[in-house]
Amino acid sequence: MIFDVVGQTLRQPDRIIPVEALLGNCAGSRMPDIVPTRLTPEIAQRLVEVCPTKAFGSMELDGRSCLSLSYGECIGCGRCMEWGEGAVVAAKEFRWCGVAKKETTRFWNIKDRAEIVVRAPEPEEIHEKIYSLLQRALNIRQLDAGSCNGCEAEITALTNPYYDLERFGMHFVASPKHADMLLVTGPVTRNMAEAVKATYAAVPAPKLVVAVGACGCSGGIFRGSHAVVGAIDAVLPVDGYIPGCPPTPAMLVTGILKVLQRRVGTSTR
Amino acid sequence: MKDNVLAGKVEIPRTIDGGEGRLVTLFGGLGANRERRVHYVFDVGEPDYREIVLPVNGSIDSIAFQLPAAAWYERELHDQYGVEIVGSPDVRPLIFHDHWPDKIFPMIDPVENVPWSNREYRFLEVRGEGIAEVAVGPVHAGIIEPGHFRFSVVGDTVLNLELRHFYTHKGTEKLFESNLLGAGAMIAESISGDNCFAHAVCYSQAVENACGMIVPPRAAALRLIGLELERLVCHVSDVGGLCTDVGFGVVAAQLTRIKESLLQVSAKCCETRYWRGISVPGGMRLDIDSGKVLQFSQGVAAAYRDFANLAQVILNTPSIQNRFEMAGILRLEAARNLAVVGPVARASGINLDVRRDHPYGLYRQHQFEIPVTHYGDVMARCRIRINEAAISARLIQEAANSLPDGGVFISPQAQRDIRGHSAVESPRGELYYWLEAHQGRLTRCHIKSPSFQNWPAMPFAVTENIIADFPLINKSFNLSYSGCDR
Repeated sequence: MIFDVVGQTLRQPDRIIPVEALLGNCAGSRMPDIVPTRLTPEIAQRLVEVCPTKAFGSMELDGRSCLSLSYGECIGCGRCMEWGEGAVVAAKEFRWCGVAKKETTRFWNIKDRAEIVVRAPEPEEIHEKIYSLLQRALNIRQLDAGSCNGCEAEITALTNPYYDLERFGMHFVASPKHADMLLVTGPVTRNMAEAVKATYAAVPAPKLVVAVGACGCSGGIFRGSHAVVGAIDAVLPVDGYIPGCPPTPAMLVTGILKVLQRRVGTSTR
Repeated sequence: MKDNVLAGKVEIPRTIDGGEGRLVTLFGGLGANRERRVHYVFDVGEPDYREIVLPVNGSIDSIAFQLPAAAWYERELHDQYGVEIVGSPDVRPLIFHDHWPDKIFPMIDPVENVPWSNREYRFLEVRGEGIAEVAVGPVHAGIIEPGHFRFSVVGDTVLNLELRHFYTHKGTEKLFESNLLGAGAMIAESISGDNCFAHAVCYSQAVENACGMIVPPRAAALRLIGLELERLVCHVSDVGGLCTDVGFGVVAAQLTRIKESLLQVSAKCCETRYWRGISVPGGMRLDIDSGKVLQFSQGVAAAYRDFANLAQVILNTPSIQNRFEMAGILRLEAARNLAVVGPVARASGINLDVRRDHPYGLYRQHQFEIPVTHYGDVMARCRIRINEAAISARLIQEAANSLPDGGVFISPQAQRDIRGHSAVESPRGELYYWLEAHQGRLTRCHIKSPSFQNWPAMPFAVTENIIADFPLINKSFNLSYSGCDR
């Protein structure tokens, strides 16, 4: 009986996805990217109109009219790709995971048809560098502040044989008292606000907080509801944001590593 | 659907074979002059549901003693619309916790800057020698949604379990209001993350029914494939969860692999792992080319074969049988009284499935058996899921092999005022949407989620078991917190 299981397990090929193939991968998330050469004022205007969560905006930046795209607000519905006449495509590579809030927004000069690079997130480090950051194990406590369970499903997937978060020395712990990092999902509901604060209080320093998903980053589709307080940063200080609705496991890995790189890599503790 | 407005207490309709109608849902709404009404929806054994509308003159009479399934609905009705329920067994607030002011009812009152209040909530107290209280949650020890469980135990044995949920209440029904009909699908699929496609399809069908339209056959076939895939993913994941909870780690890890392979074939086929953002009123936003569908169905078939082998191992392992059998029995009487739906109902002897009883889309053309068993324990719920997974895998192959040609979308033409409803058999059971729109914008959308229906039955399965079996019993129900709380 159990030998059948062992036999079957041994027959299985190795499924693990190498870290190089995970970093920056966003397949299956439908995160948009702009093809600047195809951008016109009309298309930009339409993108602002069709986006259901107002992730696209138009503004003046140094007297130039610009299109902005805030990934923290994007729910990956794909309407921009439908209406963008080729100026919007599904992102092939996605580096905006685990970054600071202001870095989750990109700008394009509509007239020059070019991206305005305010400060691009650094390209992903090769994996030796990442392993060197992780001399210590990282204990993660997932906290659901009111999510729909979509982000939880993807976070759970991090422990399956394809992603195997344990290979990075990271694992999920049961108590916030054992946690180095809180991985927080969902808009913070009124009913959960107190429990979210209490959980954060129980986490020992350095209390890394990562906001996960469109709802965690911006409130997403639930922004403005009477039963919702707001995004995670309405209640807790946030170290990094991972957009997506829900973010794929690859985006979660990218984001968690990025937050470590930013916080642990520069800390002197 | 006729609008039968009655006065006084609602009379529970009889089914076609003389029994008591099954309560599907109960919710508030507003009439033309913003007068409050209560809608009761029953299943009387006919293809369509029976709806009865009652005007509210200050209060309504509770039907919860007659139909215990109505208890949570009546509490929600009070919290949303401020309707007094006369003769109710439980008048405590349900959807808002201690911080919400008593006299603000979000569906009729302005909700900008609602002040933070501090009211008291009383749990049922169980007194006696040796009785201890164990409070668990809302934050649980794992990657799980929030909810509170209050156990009263003697030693290890649970005497009473009281639930306090709605921690993830996001005011979703209110959020639908004034949205365009097309945009509502996005809110619907954010209600329960792992059942998002069932929600999107159910919402879409409700709009289509309201507009009196039928989606193209290719869209109906793709929807069936998506719905059955979602069921397969859920059942594989649930059986894996049950193995995790009894420490059968090797098999559990294998099942997470199978689940992931199903999500990856979905991503290859339609660019999204969970079929999000695809179903909209009028059909599908995305046509999937037949070659991809074929590849997809081969991937599903391979994953299912793996699952079927492991399922046999699980069912034949003595230590699993020992833990699953006789644990968490939900008896038929309790299941009937609480109008339980889905795999939980079918494991307790209730022969119920929307796909057969109220057929929609392509299910009208497919023949399939509905697994039912009467044991009502964890093993029964596990077996039901394993058997249903087989049917889902078969339906996906059938639909993929005979995919009709043609378009996948027809723009819905909404008249000035429309009203419609629809039901879908989601992986957790009967999901029902009721909506009303004025000039293409939603004025009311009510969601009956199977989890809201089934949660009150869980304590009945847990009592008399040891507290250490609670996670296992809870997993065997696998209810959504967000789907319940909305």
